[in-house]
Amino acid sequence: MWHIAKRELSNNLNSLRFALATVLLLGLMLTNAIVHLREHPERVQRYRERVSGHQNHIAAHASNGLYDLAQEGPGNLYKKPSDLRFCAEGSETFMSDRAQAGYHRWSTGTLKSFWILAYPSATPNRDNVRPEVTKVDWGFIIGYVLSLVALLFTFDSISGERERGTLRLTLSNPIPRHTVLIGKFLGAFISVSIPFILAVLVNLLVISTSSGVHLDAEAWGRLGIIFFVAVLYTCLFLALGMLVSARVQRSAVSLVILLLVWVVFVVFMPSTLASIAGRSTSSGPTYDFSERSWKLHNELSSDYYSRHYKEPEGSTKRIEIDGAYVTKDAEQQEQLHEARLNRRIAEVHRARTITRISPVTIVQNLIESFAGTGFERHLQFLENVQTYVREFRTFIVDTDSADPESLHIFGVRTGMSQEPVSPEAVPKFEDTLNLSKDFNTAATELLLLTLFVLVLLSGAYLAFVRVEV
Amino acid sequence: MLRTLIGRELLDNLMTFRFAAAVFITLLLVVANTLVLLKDYEQRLTAYNKAAQESHQELREEKIYARYAGALVVHRPPNPLSIFNLGLDKQVGNKIEVYHAFVPTIWDAEKHGADNPFLNLFTSIDIVLVFQGVLSLLALIFAYDALAGERERGTLRLVLTHPIQRGYILFAKYISAMLCLLVPLLISLLLSIILLTTSTTVALRADDFLRIGGIVLTSLLYVSLFYLIGLCISAMTRRTSTALMLCMFVWGVLVLVYPNLILTAVEITPKPDAKISVYNQIKQMWEELEREKKQFIRNDAILGPPSRGGEDMDAGFGLEGVEYTFWQGEDKPSILLYFHQTGLYAGKIKAESEPQVPRVQNYYSFYNRETINTVERTWLVRKPALKTIYVQPANLGRMLLRFSPVGLYDTATEAWAGTDLEGIQDFFSTVQRHRRAVVDYFYDKKIFESRQWFAADKGTADWDALPQFSFQRSDTGINAKRALPDMLLLLTMNVILFTVIVLIFIKSEV
Repeated sequence: MWHIAKRELSNNLNSLRFALATVLLLGLMLTNAIVHLREHPERVQRYRERVSGHQNHIAAHASNGLYDLAQEGPGNLYKKPSDLRFCAEGSETFMSDRAQAGYHRWSTGTLKSFWILAYPSATPNRDNVRPEVTKVDWGFIIGYVLSLVALLFTFDSISGERERGTLRLTLSNPIPRHTVLIGKFLGAFISVSIPFILAVLVNLLVISTSSGVHLDAEAWGRLGIIFFVAVLYTCLFLALGMLVSARVQRSAVSLVILLLVWVVFVVFMPSTLASIAGRSTSSGPTYDFSERSWKLHNELSSDYYSRHYKEPEGSTKRIEIDGAYVTKDAEQQEQLHEARLNRRIAEVHRARTITRISPVTIVQNLIESFAGTGFERHLQFLENVQTYVREFRTFIVDTDSADPESLHIFGVRTGMSQEPVSPEAVPKFEDTLNLSKDFNTAATELLLLTLFVLVLLSGAYLAFVRVEV
Repeated sequence: MLRTLIGRELLDNLMTFRFAAAVFITLLLVVANTLVLLKDYEQRLTAYNKAAQESHQELREEKIYARYAGALVVHRPPNPLSIFNLGLDKQVGNKIEVYHAFVPTIWDAEKHGADNPFLNLFTSIDIVLVFQGVLSLLALIFAYDALAGERERGTLRLVLTHPIQRGYILFAKYISAMLCLLVPLLISLLLSIILLTTSTTVALRADDFLRIGGIVLTSLLYVSLFYLIGLCISAMTRRTSTALMLCMFVWGVLVLVYPNLILTAVEITPKPDAKISVYNQIKQMWEELEREKKQFIRNDAILGPPSRGGEDMDAGFGLEGVEYTFWQGEDKPSILLYFHQTGLYAGKIKAESEPQVPRVQNYYSFYNRETINTVERTWLVRKPALKTIYVQPANLGRMLLRFSPVGLYDTATEAWAGTDLEGIQDFFSTVQRHRRAVVDYFYDKKIFESRQWFAADKGTADWDALPQFSFQRSDTGINAKRALPDMLLLLTMNVILFTVIVLIFIKSEV
């Protein structure tokens, strides 16, 4: 077996395609590293500035007392940029980098609306009049280029030998066929891996030696997983190549078939199918969102005004009605925003489920999840935000109930604690990433990818066993 | 003789698996994508109609002229040909204010809201993109064995024993392969046009069909170029599988790698620092206007300082009203716009302030005139700055893209569809002309110094008399003119490549 693998390897290493693949992958990975080094420090800097701005915002309101803090809210919460963004850009531009935890709607003479958590949508490329581009990240290099390279290395592995007549020679030796197949597979695998590993090493070398970007132990672990995914994915395409190569008489036909399959899976599946799925499941237009919001608010306020004036001014009852109005309004509006967000997320989930037939999408989703970018990451960010918002609200309630002089009526200045709040005590938002959670979301896709590989490998085996020389 | 050759080649090509697969895949991709794009277009059109209707109503709810700021909005309709090449049609804003205090540009426009912005995660591919990827691949698949295959099988020697020139053989091969490639191209385009015409929302006019014709012509040039690349490789290599593998690498580099690589690289080129300094320059001009305004009011003993905020409503002019102010937004430096304009509107004017009204009118006459002058002055700075900051990097990217046929094809079809930068800018220059027309109308009718500018008690604003905005896409001639350089480049590359192939083929030994 090793003999066959070695023979394959030496055959491949001397070929033109090996040289071309090496140059291609090296060039792409090098560009990727350089671009990342240019862009990332700027991104991190901007994030830091925004976070400190957010902390100043909280401190300013905290010093004005509890009411101000409770009314203004924590302000914008920002998504932490991932250090592994060079692995997968993850369409980050299409997702907002913030959640608005301080969204105001109205104020009357005495009352101000309480903050609600809103989810602004990103406005990508508004200023940008450049031609559209798929960023050259690992996802692109692995998903598109590496798969193409893997096909180019295996399309003639069996049919080519048959054409030249050497297959008959090999099989005349007393070796079982599966040994021949595994030997060929290993040979092809190693010869694809060499340029890829070389390119990855150069990429990581450039990135890790620069002073601007720092990768910690967890990041390296994640990179290891991403590399493993890439290996699995390469195996998938190698197996596909061997399967078709074993079934087809001429190697040129085999490559044509492989390319057409590749085009369908790579070009058609991820975008078109997802667009069809996403747009057809779209549950109605949302421009009535603002109308609904207005309607709810108006109903509530007319109810409020009818009761408000019945009570004498300054009475606790009136303050209670005021407070109930403000808090109820905020609650309703926030629910509306959340419902819209959940509906949108559900639509994307439906669309993404369908695209999982395509290995390219699977691998890109996997790389995104482990690189800490993309949609799943965005959902984790939103979850973090929601947890923080609950924490913040509990803090307000706790601080208020700790003050014996307060009336414990939220929503009105006079109903709440008048004590100043120390800015240090206010909970701080921290956007964290959890590797085990990433594994959870990625598990299905990882299993699916493994399944694909196994099916194709056994398919290749069966085809090869039945092959007539 | 030529006809026999072409006939033979045609038969050879038509009866193959790859031809069937080519037709099937192109049809599948084009039809599926047309459906997606059509739906997307319909959604954008609905959003446009809804928004246009809303702003029409909003404007009519205003009673005084000064409130036209933010209410007089024009919308950019989606381009039906964006189904063929999306270009910038979806990317840039489509909602823009017409206001005398700033010159509207692409960068001031806002976008209509989308149903679900997350769906942008799934990039939609337009028809040109399908052709760009699939047809080029097919052209190479048709070409790789045209010469190498015949050489391998030994039939090339047979053909060459006949008294025909080698150039003729090449020509016959070229013509028949192009005919074969035309089949999937035309059938899929026809199907998508049928889908478009059956849809009620898309109204294609006669000149749109001309533009589609232009797109087809460009596609032909593009496909032929890739066929010739394949033929060239086929003429140079001995074995078909080597030829095919080389073809695939060339395809991967030209279609997949180079455009993305070069655009990613262009994005990190240092951005001009002009932004901040120009922004400050513009800010200074507006601050100068502010000073002049204060000077004017100070010189007028009766008017006094205008009121601030909504708290003390009855100060300053002695009119009942609220002052309004435009603040610079968070992202305003990015579009180099700065204005801090103040004004005042009053629902009704008290009897005791009636004698001041002519003076207020006088003030507005001065202030609006000066504002417009300042706008003209800032525009002189802003226009070149916008160009260096946004347009030049974009053009650099487009120019570098032209080293790959993909870039040429993309820019040429964009120009035909009218979704390129120039096509979009046509709309914005129309908006700029419209703004000019509105300002001229205000000057002509003396609206800036009229009572209706700030008060609605004696006659309200007449919005229907305003100049109407209408936008027509440029004629086909202009589209053609914009597409021509790239098409000529494609043609030249075709010719050069064909000559090279002929030379190689003539010198090659069988």
